Amino acid sequence: MKSTQYTEKTLDHFRNPRNVGTLEGPNVAVGRVGNPVCGDMMDIYIDVQDDRIKDIKFQTFGCGSAVATSSMITELVVGMQLDEALKVSRGDVADALDGLPPIKMHCSNLAADALHEAIKNWRAGVKPEDATTTPVEKSCHPAPTAVAEMEIQKLDDYDGKGLHRKVEDLSELADARVVVLDTGDRAAQLAMDLTDHTGRVVLMTAAKEPGVSPAVRSALRLSDVKILAEAQPLELLGEGELERIRVHDLNEDEEYELTADAFVVLE
Amino acid sequence: MTARSIDRKLTLADPGEALARAGVVYADYQSAKPVDPRVVEAMLPYLTEKFGNAASLHAVGDVATAALEEARGRVAAFFGAEPREIVFTGGATEATNLGIVGYALRNKRKGDHVIVSEAEHISILNIAKYLEKNGFRVTRVPIDLYGRVSAKKLRARITDETILVSVQWASSEIGTAQPIAEIAELLDGTGIALHSDAVAAEGLLPIDTAAVPVDLLSLSSNDLYGPRGLGALYVRKGVQVAPVLLGGGQERGLRSGSEDLASIAGFAAAAGIMGAEMVTEVPRIRAIRDRLVERVLAEIPDSHLNGHPEQRAPNNAHFRFDAVEGEAMILSLRDEGVAASTGSACSSKTLEPSHTLISCGLLHEEAHGSLEFTFGRWSTMEDVERIMAVLPGVIARLRALSPLYRTHAPATP
Repeated sequence: MKSTQYTEKTLDHFRNPRNVGTLEGPNVAVGRVGNPVCGDMMDIYIDVQDDRIKDIKFQTFGCGSAVATSSMITELVVGMQLDEALKVSRGDVADALDGLPPIKMHCSNLAADALHEAIKNWRAGVKPEDATTTPVEKSCHPAPTAVAEMEIQKLDDYDGKGLHRKVEDLSELADARVVVLDTGDRAAQLAMDLTDHTGRVVLMTAAKEPGVSPAVRSALRLSDVKILAEAQPLELLGEGELERIRVHDLNEDEEYELTADAFVVLE
Repeated sequence: MTARSIDRKLTLADPGEALARAGVVYADYQSAKPVDPRVVEAMLPYLTEKFGNAASLHAVGDVATAALEEARGRVAAFFGAEPREIVFTGGATEATNLGIVGYALRNKRKGDHVIVSEAEHISILNIAKYLEKNGFRVTRVPIDLYGRVSAKKLRARITDETILVSVQWASSEIGTAQPIAEIAELLDGTGIALHSDAVAAEGLLPIDTAAVPVDLLSLSSNDLYGPRGLGALYVRKGVQVAPVLLGGGQERGLRSGSEDLASIAGFAAAAGIMGAEMVTEVPRIRAIRDRLVERVLAEIPDSHLNGHPEQRAPNNAHFRFDAVEGEAMILSLRDEGVAASTGSACSSKTLEPSHTLISCGLLHEEAHGSLEFTFGRWSTMEDVERIMAVLPGVIARLRALSPLYRTHAPATP
């Protein structure tokens, strides 16, 4: 079966998703699951009154079935008691859509997880702003790069072969894939300056957001620098010169390799 | 009983008109191309009247032999080759199996090391894995930001045991053209053979084996608007390969099985038409592609072109859009009558995003947002207008659903 051989009901929920959006108010909680790295990410907002889901909204980044399952689950559980809603399983969501291609079953899992997470957060009193983006005060704490740097394997092997402790002439990195380790404002500023010389600049931080001042943060958002958050460099790899960085995805607790020609760790 | 003849004249639909009637903008020529009706006409006699087997010794067989060799000559001429350097196969994948596995097996006594580029099509990466399971060592050579293999990095990977390097002519995915002449020069005279998968370059970029010293070239008939299921391996004179398909010893023993003469005649006709029309067709297709790239980048915020800005197949436009997922784009475009392609994981059998985009240095979340348009013989400027009438809306709708997009929006001061 092709991944896109969806039932009419799934296609209908993809084309006309129900309950898209966010909610606000004193009785609102959010469940946020998934990871853009995996290609899907879901936020489900619930407004709870008298232990019932009075209103529900969602936002989803993902494929057809990710959108359809989020939409479907909001229809299934609106008006339900929380305990009842907790019993809604991935199978129920898939059944309500008249089935999903086997390879897409994990998407229905995600929708159920997001709902359960939202209920859990509501019961634990976790406010949406705490559940979604980390507050500014927290991310302004410096990322643990000073300690982490010591732990990057084979770092010194690539001195002058892709590892840069300083960059004096930006043009030497023209057209290179540059990964700048987040060590504060100076590193972020260098990353932004480099975008005039290459189309690929990644600012890598172990925190949820770069540990920079508010002014630099705003400038970063407007810039072409790609932010890679919750990523911890583990090891440099390459044949004679840097070619890849082994990265620990702290959110998913998984490892992957990122292609790079230059790794900038400012002194 | 008497033989019946069909007196009704066979009429062939024009692919462009058929797509228009169906209301489809087809921008996925890299996945499949229609067979040119002129090619079909050239094939028909070999299905009915000239049906012989080229191996037969009688007159009917002689007609087939003459047709086979004439076709071989026309295909060879298109690629600057000698007729005896062309081996017909059942498609480009089979040509690649013969070119890589057949070469490695035949030359194993010279060494056991094979190098393939990270931009190769999945079929070649899987063939490389097969070699690894069968006693060969395989090294992958990385690509740059734009998808190009660097000759320097390739040189760093060559050992005394290296016998074969495989680098595509152009990427069937992101369209990037490889510096194949430079790589061929680097290997020329070293005794290391160069195989190139040329399917994404055929009829789009000049391929002249007389000018570029490649040893093995995988070719597909359909990529020249010939029939599917037929390909060829170019084997430079003096290069030895072992057959991977055994049997009656057709094609100089390299590809057994009675030749599919109608398809071979079709491949030859397609090569002849392309040889005559490429000079006008390529600029026309390039103008259509350039127009789409220009409009997408200008009119859709947070859109990017993947692959090399200039060194690329002239029919290929490969984009990525921040915070939207590829399969969702394809589904939405399908509803709007636009056929395109994506490297998103969610559209693949493995749920892994495109290895090429990851090798270019993109993050997984970016590779998920890729969208590929490839144009061809029946594409028109009007297609660009129709794509741009719907694409910005599709992206905007999916971004409105996406929890990621707000984080990309400029912060309000």
